[in-house]
Order: sequence, then structure tokens, then C-alpha cells
Amino acid sequence: MKELRRNMRVVGTLVVVLFVGLAAWFAMTVFTQGSIWASDVRNSRLRSTNSLRGDILDRDGNLLATTAEDGTRQYTHNAIARRALSQTVGDIAGMSGTGVETFYSATLLDISTSLVDRLSELFNSKDHVGSSIQISVDGPLQAYIASEFPVDEKTGAFYRGAVCVTNYRTGEILAMVSMPNYDPYDLANRTVTQVEDTAYLNRCLQGLYTPGSVFKIITLASAITNDESVVDQTFSCSGEWTYEGGHIVCAGGTSHGTVNLKTAFKRSCNVTFGKLAYQLGLERLRQTAEQFGFNENFKFGDFMVYNSAFPTEISSMNGLVWAGIGQGEVLVTPLHMAMIAGAIANGGTMMKPWLIEKITNSLGAATTTAAPTAYRRVLSESVAGKIAEYMYETVQSGTATRAAIKGYTVGGKTGSAEVSDDKTVETNAWFTGFIYDDAHPYAISVVIEGGGAGARMPSELAAKALKKAIEYVG
Amino acid sequence: MPKNKVDRMKKALMRSNTKLLLSAVMAFQVLAMLLIAFQKETMNPQALVLAVALPLVTWLTTRLMGRVWPVDRAILIMVLFLCSVGIITLSDIAKSDVTPRTQSLYALGGILVMFAGAAFIRFWRQWKKTTPLLMGLCILALASPFAPVIGIYKFGARNWVGVGPITVQPSEFMKPVLILCLASGFSNRPRFARCLPTIAFAAMCCGVLLAEKDLGAVLLYFLTTVAMYYVATSNAFISLAGLGMGAGAAVIAYRALPYVQDRVAIWQNPWSDPQESGYQLIQSLIAIGSGGLFGMGLGMGMPRDIPLYYSDFIFASITEEFGLIFAIGLLAVYVLIIMRGLIVAFNARTSFHSLAAFGLVIMLGLQTMLIAGGNTKLLPLSGVTLPLICSGGSSLVSTFFSMGLLLGLSSMNAEDEARDIETLELKEEGVF
Repeated sequence: MKELRRNMRVVGTLVVVLFVGLAAWFAMTVFTQGSIWASDVRNSRLRSTNSLRGDILDRDGNLLATTAEDGTRQYTHNAIARRALSQTVGDIAGMSGTGVETFYSATLLDISTSLVDRLSELFNSKDHVGSSIQISVDGPLQAYIASEFPVDEKTGAFYRGAVCVTNYRTGEILAMVSMPNYDPYDLANRTVTQVEDTAYLNRCLQGLYTPGSVFKIITLASAITNDESVVDQTFSCSGEWTYEGGHIVCAGGTSHGTVNLKTAFKRSCNVTFGKLAYQLGLERLRQTAEQFGFNENFKFGDFMVYNSAFPTEISSMNGLVWAGIGQGEVLVTPLHMAMIAGAIANGGTMMKPWLIEKITNSLGAATTTAAPTAYRRVLSESVAGKIAEYMYETVQSGTATRAAIKGYTVGGKTGSAEVSDDKTVETNAWFTGFIYDDAHPYAISVVIEGGGAGARMPSELAAKALKKAIEYVG
Repeated sequence: MPKNKVDRMKKALMRSNTKLLLSAVMAFQVLAMLLIAFQKETMNPQALVLAVALPLVTWLTTRLMGRVWPVDRAILIMVLFLCSVGIITLSDIAKSDVTPRTQSLYALGGILVMFAGAAFIRFWRQWKKTTPLLMGLCILALASPFAPVIGIYKFGARNWVGVGPITVQPSEFMKPVLILCLASGFSNRPRFARCLPTIAFAAMCCGVLLAEKDLGAVLLYFLTTVAMYYVATSNAFISLAGLGMGAGAAVIAYRALPYVQDRVAIWQNPWSDPQESGYQLIQSLIAIGSGGLFGMGLGMGMPRDIPLYYSDFIFASITEEFGLIFAIGLLAVYVLIIMRGLIVAFNARTSFHSLAAFGLVIMLGLQTMLIAGGNTKLLPLSGVTLPLICSGGSSLVSTFFSMGLLLGLSSMNAEDEARDIETLELKEEGVF
């Protein structure tokens, strides 16, 4: 009997401990995920509630969305700004699924408030108003970038693409421009609506693009991390390279001659980086890419971002060489690219990106305040410093000279990503880079669909955007 | 020694002062039912009746049972509380008055069955001889859904039997029977060989349930058997081997049975198919998230968006209406019943009674965790009921019977202890 009691005590304790674990897990998931679950578009409680939506403000307190006296939802008066912010702020119809209006609808409506709030509202006989949300985006900056987006001369319309600006020291998202965009007011009036195809998509978060040459940052990081002497190695480039099972050319067939690694990077030599990938092998290249967040299920909490991809297996050498220059099965979102450039500038530490600065309930008390958190150390400080130096050289005297800003240290990398096998479609133009400055630690990524060479439009747009960021965000 | 002194001791041995607990539970029942009765523009007469009936039945049952036998009243009151949470939630969220009405009638029947259970365990002395008969009965009953005419196929499992409008789920009613059989077979610290018939019996039960696709019941029966075998024999090696075999069987089942794969896939990512297979779980999570810390409030939520909001997902419905804090409190009540039940198991005089009490509370605990974990996406959904709360007669009546057995065991302990003290005093007085 004594033994029986002892065993019963052991198993009984185990069951009680499991119960405590269940309760803890339950409480934790409701705290972290509850408002996201409740904001689901399939939640019919959000449509039937008579509570009023709270405001959405930008980082300087500019109203981006508010509920008017008559109960209608009002957005920024300026039509350009309203359109530029459309996918970031979202709309009450829920068309832009990642917008704050949709993704945080349960918080904006506060469908489950605390007892204290409810009682105080009862005694003051006020309408139930939800929480206000302040986001880290700078409204004027985002509007400016959208208005400066290049225009395709053939069609007379804006190019499609995205610009993402972040603060790489804190992880705040300062701008998320996605073209084309839409006017949330048009949605109320659907009969006249002519919303452009894919305008609801936030390309910064949901646009999976072939990175092309901007991926060379990762190939370079992998090469230096695995063998530091590679920086002294020289490569010979005749403008093309034929290897077992494939053939690779530099842009425009340019022959770079005998180059060291720095020159190869700043001139974006495909042959050299193809050879580097070949030397590294798939396993090591994949390891570095995954360290940077490729193939990872991103769960940042404040928004939904698509996962970047790097091939885990390849059928031939050809796949590896092309992966080394960011072609083939490699895919990345503009936000992730800005995180990568930011991690280089931040001494190898990638910050967790965030959008929600502060949530304030209807009584004015802050219920959530964001704080910077490191996502991961992706590189050693010395390797990050080396790559930053190469990116600086690229802006000084390489392919990205148009991205230079007078009086600031800017680093960057351009890319022209092939999106067709037979070059019938113009390449997607990329730029990604950063300002190396303690007061203005901004990283940027720009992608212009069918924009041709990365050296031209994206580099220019990045310089404009960063200049304005310095001026506005301060 | 005068008779009334023994009686007083018996009462003292019930230890806990349960008056406060009883008053709190009754107050909760009255307030909640009044709120439901008057929340709409037209008054709900059935809720008003229940506002009187629930506390009255709770009070009467506690008084009556406490008078007849010295049962552990704390367990009794908590059991009645959980049952009333079920009736209150159903009165609030069900589409019609019929569901809470039938649930209340089942509860009344369940209370009678609880008395029967307590009486049964107190008077059942021939357990060794009758166990084989009970085992045969149990397997027959479990297999009965396969019988022609009365067998019923429901919700993807063939685990119901029925004649006309009356349908029952044998796997629910056989839970206490299984525990009694196991307790009898594993009592008196047997060697492995002597356990084999009992183990074979449990394996057959699991096999029949597996054939009926009642996976939740298989899991419960299996885990309870392993737990009881371990505590009875201290044989960690065979118990772990049993668990390992169970895990192996689960892997085989996962490979072989597409509906198991579906369940696991839904659990891993319900959002991959939000309109079809993932719909239930997503709506459950939406409801839980909408409820937040303090809940939407009784009558303010919309748990009816969850399919099976009254049965498989009643825990999510309760969380939406009453909030996270209440839901965790509810789990705490189950834990308290388990802990008091374990005390009953510790104090029992024979290993049979001890094992029976242990098995009853362990099964209650496992069942609660499986369904609460399933509602909150911690575990794949296995379709067991939330004991005493979930809508449905079979589960409610069967759990009342199990709790009746537990209460009967607690009263036997109290009497044994009173008798001990009496003997001790008689010794001191020099009678012996």
C-alpha cells in the first residue's frame, strides 16, 4: 500500500503539473495571439459590434484613420498620402489583409474590454470606442516616396514595385510603399471603383521577388565567413564562364578582366560570384542564407510577411551557380532585403522588424508599447564591417553611384533580376542599402518591376527617399 | 461509547467547512440564470425556473447525500458546480430552450445515478468474483454499435447505439466499468503474469473502440490503463514499454488512417484550409481571442459561429463568454476535484478501492486536458467531451456515476477512520 501511495503521488503530481502547463500555455497564447485571432476576417463579431473604431496615427501623431462624428471612417485628406498609405493602414472592407485596419481590427474595436472600462463607459454613458494604434511609419515620408516613384514612359503610369525603409538599430518600419495602390474611399462606392490589379497587395510584405545581384551580399558573407583569405583572392572574368552543365555571363557581356573580390562586388561581376558559389557548395551557401532568415517561417507579430526561399536541394551545378547570383529558385520580400542590408550596417545583428509603436485604450492608457528586440546575430562584426565597406565602395565608385548622398556615408548594392528565361521581359531593378550614421541609421530596399538596370532608377529613388527620411524622421 | 459521539466524529472527519463553498456556488447559479432570464426584451421563463431549480437541487443534493453517507462534500459541490456551468452556458448560447432543458433533465437523472454509484461501491464486496462477468459485459457493450438495427454511425465514428429516439454512447458508460475492472485486476500488487488477462481485456476494449473510429476514447482508455498498471505494480519498465507501443500504434494509425492525418494537419495549420477542414478550429480560436481576459460577457458573445459550440467546443464557448480568467478557474476546479480524489485514493483501506479512486480521477483529468488542449490548439482535436459541462446525456450521466463511485469511496474512508478512533478510545478506556 505504501508503494501504491507513492506511485499515486507521482502520477497525480504529474497530472496536476500538466494542468498547470496547459493553463500557462493557454494564457500565453491568448496574450500573444488573441487579438490576431480575433481580428480574423472570418470573425463575425467584428461586423456586428456597435463599438467605434479607434484612431490610427503615424509616428509623429498625424491622423491616418479616424472615426468621424457620424460614424464613418475617415482617412488622410491628401489623396496622394491616402493612396500611398493604403496597404499599410488598410481599409474597413478588409481588402488589404495585412493592413492595420484588418490585422488589428479586434484591437481597434476592443470587442473585449476590461470590466473597469465597461463600468466607466456605463457611468459616463459614452459610446464604446476601441483602442488607438500608433504605427512606426512616417506618413509624409511614405507619401513622398510614392509620389517620386518613377513613371513608365511607355504607358505613362507608375511602375509597379516597392520601397521599404527601416531603422536598422531599432527595427522600426519607417515606410512601406507598394505600387500600385488604391484609395480606401473608392471601396465604399464600389460601382465606380476601378482598382488596379494587385493594388491590395502590400508588396513589401507579400511580394516575393527574385533578388538577382542584391543576393551577392549573402554569397559574399558566406565566402568571407567560411574563408577570410578570399578577400585577397583574384578572379579572372572574360565576361562569360562555361562550366560543367551550364554557362553564365556578366550583364551586357562586359569583361571585368582580373579582379579582386571588392572590385568584383562593386561592379557586380556574375562570373566571380558564380565561381564563389561553386567553391562554397550548396550546403555552406544555404547555411548562410538560412542564418539571414531564408526558408524561415517569419512570425514577427505586427504583420504578416511571406517567407523568403533558398533552394534546399538542386539537381545540377547550374542551379548552385545561379543561386549564388540570386537567380533561379531564390525569392525574397523587399522587407527582408531591407532587414539584410540593415543587419550589415548594424554590425551583424538583425533587428526584429515592427510596425506597432503604441496601443492606447479609450481611457488614454497605453496598453502596449513596443521596444526594440534583436532578431538574431547573422554575422560576426568584422565580416559585417567588411561587407559594409564593399557596399560603401559600390556607392562611391561601383554600380550604385547614383545612390550617393552628399555629406553621408551610404552603402548599397544594385541588382537586375531576370524574370524570364529568354530575356523577353525587362529585368526587375533592385537597390538595397543603408546610411551609416548614428543619428540616421536607415536601411532601404527598392524594387521596380521591369525597371531595367538597378544602377539607374532604384538607386536614384533610394537616394531621394533616404534624404527625405533624414529630413522628416530626424 | 455513545452512538452520537461516533456520529459527531464522522462529521468532524469530513473536515472541510463547505458552507461557504455551497453558498458561493448557489449565488453564482442564481445570478447567472437571472441574468439570462432578463437579458432580452422578453423574459425567458425557463431560465427563471432554472434560477430557482439549480440552487435548490444543489442544496438538496448536498444535504441529502451528506445525511446518508459521510461523503466528501467539497467534491460533491464542485461536481454540481461544473454541471451547472454547463446548463448556464447552454441556456445562454443554445439556439432553443430544448437543449438546456434536456441537459437539466439529464443532470437530474445523473444525480440519481450518482447516488446509485455511491451505494453500489459501498455494497459491492464480491469484486474478485464478479470482475470477469463485468469484463465480458463491458466488451459486449462496447461492440454493440456494430450490432444490426441498434448501431448508429455519427460524426465519422460508429460509436452510438439507439432504439427509436433514445440513443446512447456505450464508450461513455463503460468508462467507470473499465476502471472498476482494472482496479480489481490490478489489486494486491500482482505479478506481470497475473495482470495479463486484465491487460488483454483493456487491449480488446481499445481494439473495439479503434474499429469504431472513436479515437478520443481509445486514447483515454489506453492512458488510464497504463497509469493504473504503473501505480499498482511499480513496474516502470513495462509501463514505459506500453507507452512506447502506444506511440508506435499512433504512428501506424497516422500512416494508415487518412482521417488521423487530417486531424493532425488541421491542428498544425488550420489556416491552410480555413473554409473547410480548418473552419472549426479557426472559429474556436477566433472565439477565444474575442473573449480575451474578461470575456464578452454572458449573452454578449457569438459562440454559435463555432460548429459544435455546445459539445466539442464548449470550452471555447465558455472562454468567449466568461473570459480567459474564468476558463482557467474552471480548469482549477477540475484540478481541485482531482486532488481531493487523490486524497480519497490515499486514504482507502484496500488496494482495490485505492486504485478505483485513482483511476476515476486520472481519467477525469486526462479527458479534461485532451478536450481543453484540443480547443486551444495545444493538441489535435480528439472528440472527447468536457466532463460534466459538455452537452449530451451519455457523458453527463456516466461522469455522474463515476463521481458517485468516488464519493462512495470517500464515505467509506471517513467511516473507517471514525471506527479507528473509536477503537483507539475504547482501548484507552481499558475495554480491551
